[in-house]
Amino acid sequence: MSFDKDSAVKRAKQDLAERLKLNEDDIKVDSVSSKEFSDMSLGAPADGEMAAQMIAYGWQISLGAGGKSYDYRADKYQLRLKGYGGKNHVIVY
Amino acid sequence: MNRNNIWIHIGIALILVTLAAVLGQIDRWRAGLRPATSETRDIARSAGKPNAVKRSRSDSEPEVLVRFKPGVSMTQIAKLVARNNDRVEDNVEFVRGLTSIDDLDDADPAAVAAQYTAMTDLVEYAHPNYRIELGTPDAKPVEERFEDDVTSSPNDPHFADQWALNNDGSGGGRKGAHIDALKAWNITKGSSEVVVAVLDTGVDYTHPDLISNMWIRPENVPQYSDGELGAFNDRYGFNAVDNAADPMDENGHGTHCAGVIGAEGDNELGIAGINWKARIMPLKFLGRGGFGTTKDAIEAINYAVDRKQKGVNVRIISASWGSTQYSKALEDAIRAAGEQGILFIAAAGNSSTDNDRRPHYPSNYNLPNVISVAALDRTDALASFSNYGAKTVHVAAPGKEIVSTWLNEAYREASGTSMATPHVAGIAALIVARDRSITVEKLKERVMAAVDKIEQLNGKVVSGGRINAAKALAN
Repeated sequence: MSFDKDSAVKRAKQDLAERLKLNEDDIKVDSVSSKEFSDMSLGAPADGEMAAQMIAYGWQISLGAGGKSYDYRADKYQLRLKGYGGKNHVIVY
Repeated sequence: MNRNNIWIHIGIALILVTLAAVLGQIDRWRAGLRPATSETRDIARSAGKPNAVKRSRSDSEPEVLVRFKPGVSMTQIAKLVARNNDRVEDNVEFVRGLTSIDDLDDADPAAVAAQYTAMTDLVEYAHPNYRIELGTPDAKPVEERFEDDVTSSPNDPHFADQWALNNDGSGGGRKGAHIDALKAWNITKGSSEVVVAVLDTGVDYTHPDLISNMWIRPENVPQYSDGELGAFNDRYGFNAVDNAADPMDENGHGTHCAGVIGAEGDNELGIAGINWKARIMPLKFLGRGGFGTTKDAIEAINYAVDRKQKGVNVRIISASWGSTQYSKALEDAIRAAGEQGILFIAAAGNSSTDNDRRPHYPSNYNLPNVISVAALDRTDALASFSNYGAKTVHVAAPGKEIVSTWLNEAYREASGTSMATPHVAGIAALIVARDRSITVEKLKERVMAAVDKIEQLNGKVVSGGRINAAKALAN
């Protein structure tokens, strides 16, 4: 499976809805921007993870729900959630 | 002097003159008994003044004439020549230090001569053994020197894009901001005897520009067997992600790194690797997304160590990955690789931070076999993304806008300390190709000493400079 911008946003909304136990319609897309990340952890390495040190190109997706913002990052092969519950999460790869 | 002792002085003078004459005659008698060298035979055969020379390529004649400096003993010469897999054919006694040398590797005589010429602390000069002939007006004069000779550019169509190997200042670059590969290739272009492990996302071992340089497990090396993981028919390397034998790359990153190290050179295809010939061993532990676990890294290193112990000449691991996460287990695995004589080249990281203050691993492991690498752009400036460290980052290498092999027989440009790392691994492999018995400690020392000092890197990397392949190969 590989992402494009739209499918990454869709998957991110789905993930956040599951985490917050909301309907996907309650999740807002605040912004989506193309982004250059410093390495292949997209700036959100999971615990104990090693990442290839190559500049990676993808998208930063900001979702809003219940007055809070949630920071997702994606490239062709992965989707990550940064800093949720004090941790970074790899949702799909 | 007075009248009484003048005859004493005259007598002493006569004795000295007589002694000199006798010694000179002895030398002439000795010369008459010794077989003529190739050069003297050829000169003797020539009639009249020669107007051109050609290189001697006869199997019966030595390829290179080398004059060693005063004080270099015959024992030293014999050892040095043997180390280069050459043979001393003759010592020309009339000319102190002049030696004719046979190259046993069938290398180009000019390249062999350049190798000796580069040994400036031991050698006065070296040049191919020219055959002197008449009537060939286009050959080179004997007096030509070779220190500045460079190999012509390889015929790989993307070589002009490989500024890291040869930077002529085009594309906004700074002329000379490169690893000086053309000069290095005058000495060696790598060897199929040297195995470089790429610890990464795997390698596309079917890529046309890599396929000839992929390591394949020799038949006399048993299949890999791990007590816990089982047995593997490891033809091309190892896949720790899936605990399987197939290290095919699904991301591209590992293939890119492999191309920098050892894409086949001068094959009218794609790029030239730093090593035109090498053996690339993929160790896959990063998955399709370009990330992986410490445990899988350790398992992959374990594989390399096992293969080394089974006789595979794995000398270098190229590791273009990392994080801020310290792992004692990973450190121990890398140390174990070092104890097996394997040099470990690691990317310094892409956070633009000071690794002296905020460590990045595995590059920050303070081990005798680890070299940490920062990235430069084509003007010799530290790349904006590159980590650095006056105490913890050893060298810098080109790492921005690097063209190399990619999936699906493609090529692409990429940036990162990921790209800088295989440049250092590639140069280490060239050193090993030339000096097969070099220890891992000496190899690290030689890599770190072989830099061009760059003012902007003072206080940023330990060596204060950019790696230079030609310097790495000069004695």
